[in-house]
Amino acid sequence: MAQKPMLPELLKAHGVSRRGFLKYCASLTSLMALPPMLAPKVAHALENAPRPSVIWLSFQECTGCTEAITRSSAPTIEDLIFNAISLDYHHTLQAASGHAAEAAREAAMKDHWGEYLLIVDGSIPVDNPEYSCIAGISNLDMLKETAEGAAAIVAVGTCAAFGGIPHAFPNPTGAQAVGDIITDKPIINVPGCPPIPIVMTSVLAHFLTFGLPELDDLGRPKAFFGETIHDRCYRRPFYDKGLFAEAFDDEGAREGWCLYKLGCKGPTTRSVCATVKWNDGTSFPIQSGHPCLGCTEPDFWDNGGFYKPLSAPAGNYRQLGLAAAAGGVALGVAGGALSKATKSRAAKAHETVDAHDLEKKS
Amino acid sequence: MTATLERGLNALREQIDAPVASFFTSCVSCGICAEACLFYKETGDPEYTPIHKLELMRRMWSNEYTLLGRAKSLLGLGKKITDDDLTRWETLVYDSCTMCGRCTMVCPVGNDITMMIRKMREGMSASGHGPKELVGAAERHTDGTSPMGDLTQALLKRVEQASKVTGIEIEVDKPNVDYMLMLSSHEIASGEEMIASVAKIMKKAGHSWTISTEGFEATNVGIQLGNRDVAANLVSRIVDAAIKLKVKTVISPECGHAFQAIRWEGPNLIGKEYPFEVKHIIEVLDQFRAEGKLTTNGKNGDRLTFHDPCQVNRRGGINKEPRRLMNMVAENFIETEDAGTMNWCCSGGGGVGANQRANDLQAKAFNIKKRQIEAVAPDAIVTMCAFCHSTLEDQLEANEMDDIEVLSLTEMMAEYLDD
Repeated sequence: MAQKPMLPELLKAHGVSRRGFLKYCASLTSLMALPPMLAPKVAHALENAPRPSVIWLSFQECTGCTEAITRSSAPTIEDLIFNAISLDYHHTLQAASGHAAEAAREAAMKDHWGEYLLIVDGSIPVDNPEYSCIAGISNLDMLKETAEGAAAIVAVGTCAAFGGIPHAFPNPTGAQAVGDIITDKPIINVPGCPPIPIVMTSVLAHFLTFGLPELDDLGRPKAFFGETIHDRCYRRPFYDKGLFAEAFDDEGAREGWCLYKLGCKGPTTRSVCATVKWNDGTSFPIQSGHPCLGCTEPDFWDNGGFYKPLSAPAGNYRQLGLAAAAGGVALGVAGGALSKATKSRAAKAHETVDAHDLEKKS
Repeated sequence: MTATLERGLNALREQIDAPVASFFTSCVSCGICAEACLFYKETGDPEYTPIHKLELMRRMWSNEYTLLGRAKSLLGLGKKITDDDLTRWETLVYDSCTMCGRCTMVCPVGNDITMMIRKMREGMSASGHGPKELVGAAERHTDGTSPMGDLTQALLKRVEQASKVTGIEIEVDKPNVDYMLMLSSHEIASGEEMIASVAKIMKKAGHSWTISTEGFEATNVGIQLGNRDVAANLVSRIVDAAIKLKVKTVISPECGHAFQAIRWEGPNLIGKEYPFEVKHIIEVLDQFRAEGKLTTNGKNGDRLTFHDPCQVNRRGGINKEPRRLMNMVAENFIETEDAGTMNWCCSGGGGVGANQRANDLQAKAFNIKKRQIEAVAPDAIVTMCAFCHSTLEDQLEANEMDDIEVLSLTEMMAEYLDD
């Protein structure tokens, strides 16, 4: 096997200065919520990265995740880092096709058994595996076979992480997420439709430098999915003031008020969209006037309509809500009355003292 | 009557009102109040986090004023407040809090922590957990005319001396005057300068004034000890004296908590409005300045800085007035860092200075003030509170910095009056 160039040489070949590289490492470090003093360590680790072999499998998906990374903007440093890993199999990006392509995958698996990183986008049809085949191999078989020798799996995009759109009702193909099928390997879910490119590359960088990142209960790296979009939304002050756009062409919409009533899922959606943003930090859906769809959460497609406000329940809960409200008021009044009684009893029990009554006399 | 746990708990129960309930409900346990507290700052001990000093009051609120807490108490699950708890908290509530009010200023949800300390002290004092020096002072003031005992004779002597020094006739208990001056026992004990200064200024401004022999003591240990019955008794003496003499304005002297007592807590303590105005002496002087009745000649050339007394500035609202006066008489006035409403306490307020048990802790807490002073290296510190004045003198001496003088702003203004 030919000696592959190390990252610094690759960067140099692409005209990226060392300063630019270190800056990138520092921003990666902060994005990964690591302490700033780890930035040099990130740089060092990336520079000396063993360039692990990466196999990328695409199943039931729209190629949006790959598009997002490759077309993020002009060749970015993230891009280069991404290129700098040894991407040994990616059927959209690789030049080889047919048997040659499959041979590349088999060779990579054989050479790096137990060490390679498996990236999956797309969900896997389980009801009838023939719905999606590559080179005559069903997605289910290919995943099981490739996963066996992988060090870890990154499920990129909501389809791979949670089933995504193929999994939406009525789920005709019996689509399942990677995590539903593979249970004996570490899996990092990087959901999003698609995920933010730098989030994908940061997760890879974290894996290269420090191993598996800390994950939440849905298997997502906490650094990127720890806070809701709502928590960091620049329209949050309007929410706090109760100023909402009620329609897409009303005064509120023009004034840039909160899109909560237009169905924004920001309050229940965990992602860094509002801070990292898209297209090199240009904008994100809410900034361009559209409510968040909640694409980093499981079943976002089936959560009762994109334009239905979060507080509007799917069923007829109005009566129940009214009863609950009435109950709450009654409890509050009762609590208030009890507190008042306690206080007035205390006031009655007050015996006026003078300074000589402030010592304990036995 | 004797102090008991039950009386203490009842007093605490009485103090819990809507603001207290909303404060405890909205506390987010962020700990920012710790950073604002001079005791935490200088010791690094998290016990001194201001909101933690209120833990027993919070427990009382939770047990008896919340539905869940009440349900728990019914089942015997709520943690009760015991006499041992009160003993443990005694040092937190009295020794490590000067009620300086910085924590209240920084609380992001707007909790008035200082006011709650004041309320918690009600429960502490009624259960016999007040510091013995403060209880002793309260007894002496209740029986006599000041926390130092009966100072009437001393006062009359000082008035006579001041009259002699200034050549101005000073009449005590004179009715129908514009101003009735109160004094702190410190000012009476230390000399006749304050009375002489006020006599000169009043003469210059052309106002009639007097001192009442029935209500001259401004300090109110009931406020520091946290006992509203004692505090109300002491306030009503002044109110009665002012009404008897039919004065228009009562002057609160250079004393921090006296201003708290007469200006802010007083009407609530006695349950009625005053038929007169209450002003701090520095407010009066600044008003005279604005009206052109206070004109000066010459300036002090020393490097001077100003110490803001917490109860007069932060808790009392008098911030710009002393600075306007300082600029009239100081050639070389330099402000310390954090000057104004966020200035650091002298370390002796809120009864801490009188409490011997707190001496070592107070000396530690003073370090923050010390560094503040060292940074501007003044020749003298000017202030407008007699207790800050003597605390600063004592602590500077203990730190071998007594080449720095401490001055009273009122006395300084009198010194530079033109004729």
